[in-house]
Amino acid sequence: MRTVDTRGLQCPAPIIATKKALNESEKGETFQVITDSKVTLGNLSRFLHDNKNEFSVSESQGVWTFTITKNTVDPINQKAEEYCNNEVPHFSRGNFVVAFSSDKMGTGDDKLGSLLMENFVKAIKDMDHLPAKIVFYNKGVFLGRDDSPVSGHLKEIEQMGVSLCFCATCVNYYSLAEEIHIGILSNMYEIARIMASASNIIKP
Amino acid sequence: MKVDLLQTVESGGCSAKIPPKQLEELLKQLPLPADPNILVDIDTHDDAGVYRVNDDLALVFTTDFFPPVCSDPYEFGQIAAANSVSDIYAMGGTPVIALNIMMFPASRLPAEAYRDILLGGADIAAKAGLRIIGGHSIDDFPPKYGLAVVGYVHPKKIITNAGARAGDVLILTKPIGTGVILAGQRLGMASDNDVAEAKDLMKTLNDSGASVMKKHMIKGATDITGFGLAGHTLKMAKASSVKITLNMSRVPLIGKTYSLADQGCIPGAAFRNLDFADNDTVCDEGLDYNLKMTAFDAQTSGGLLISVPEKKEKEVLEDLRRTGMQSSVVIGTVSEFDGKHLCLSQ
Repeated sequence: MRTVDTRGLQCPAPIIATKKALNESEKGETFQVITDSKVTLGNLSRFLHDNKNEFSVSESQGVWTFTITKNTVDPINQKAEEYCNNEVPHFSRGNFVVAFSSDKMGTGDDKLGSLLMENFVKAIKDMDHLPAKIVFYNKGVFLGRDDSPVSGHLKEIEQMGVSLCFCATCVNYYSLAEEIHIGILSNMYEIARIMASASNIIKP
Repeated sequence: MKVDLLQTVESGGCSAKIPPKQLEELLKQLPLPADPNILVDIDTHDDAGVYRVNDDLALVFTTDFFPPVCSDPYEFGQIAAANSVSDIYAMGGTPVIALNIMMFPASRLPAEAYRDILLGGADIAAKAGLRIIGGHSIDDFPPKYGLAVVGYVHPKKIITNAGARAGDVLILTKPIGTGVILAGQRLGMASDNDVAEAKDLMKTLNDSGASVMKKHMIKGATDITGFGLAGHTLKMAKASSVKITLNMSRVPLIGKTYSLADQGCIPGAAFRNLDFADNDTVCDEGLDYNLKMTAFDAQTSGGLLISVPEKKEKEVLEDLRRTGMQSSVVIGTVSEFDGKHLCLSQ
């Protein structure tokens, strides 16, 4: 069994070492973490409990040994939205992401740009595979407004199981929080992660 | 010779507070002075005490000091001073006079470091229009610095953490994550850019936020420091007898705070703050663990959390952004108390 010795280390170093070991372990795998800090005893217990990992602690002469089993349920799969996805299996989803950075498609006449964008969003619904996720940032967040010409289509796409992620900074910047009732607000880290993990990004 | 103050400490800034749970129990055992001129005291866990002098003038009085949060003595002085004045601004006051409070290991660090810390403090005091008129030093290791500050406020225009009302929205004026970034710096995990961003934010005075609050006659606000965003929000909700819901995905974070927390870089102070808030807090099931712990991250010289009537939201946000607090955003809402004071949602 793998052992992570964190004796002599101050918080948060023992948490970092434990998280690393968790990431490197298979589900159900067991390993040990050793600490000589009472603060770490408390903080690590709380950390493991909140992340739903099974563990036990034994103490001997001021040294605590955690025996940790990596959780068998991936916490991400416990999110309600993921369950919803599983209920609509007849829509096949690809591994690509659509990123809207504007409410117009392409550059040129604004009227034409809006019309093209409307057609593009409509077309998403009819593609062989739906996007894995759709992100909206900068002017793109305007597409989510209740009175946007595509809000109905976006709502349908969301109901088909695609998560719509709106850049929270942008929604706040344009003061649109009250006008958008679809999708979820995401931070830039989340948006960057979504784009980085996509096989393809489509930017209309 | 260049001094690295970070070599002297294990936990710096507002992370160095006494565990809040323990502090609350201890403070309960102290007698509270009875005087009708005391307008605000520690009873509501507010940022500073307020004493009425006459019908037109009250004094806001506060102090804060802590061990180094950065290597450079001058920068440490700036950050500590900005943090000390912040409580005055949070209560709608104008800082007037201050005393230096300094603990310094004279035999272990060069005298230049002592001077530079005080020069940094003086720089921020000048920016705040604050006159430092004295102080006190003792020999101690590691060094600690801060100010005791007196400000003016009109007795009828005091802004307190008891002034949040159901229906208000909450605006935060600075991104959070200083505790995570500084811990990451100590472990060599944080980038120089992120550390620089955190330091700039910590040196930023909350003076423009205070002016905007005064202009819009805001009643409820607090500043975000050692108890973290969630801890100070909870204190506000308790003092105001309301429930506050924070939408954590709307909270702006400094640089790679999220990614650091995701790697386990969660300072011990965050766990202490979580422990304090646990009984009064409910977390939505979908709440991301790293965002939750970031909510409890101890902030040094954080922003203002302002409770704003919904109809004033746009104007207040515009004024905040126009006066230099560009990151200001709505991060939550105030509702009637329903058994829990704080709700953390995704």
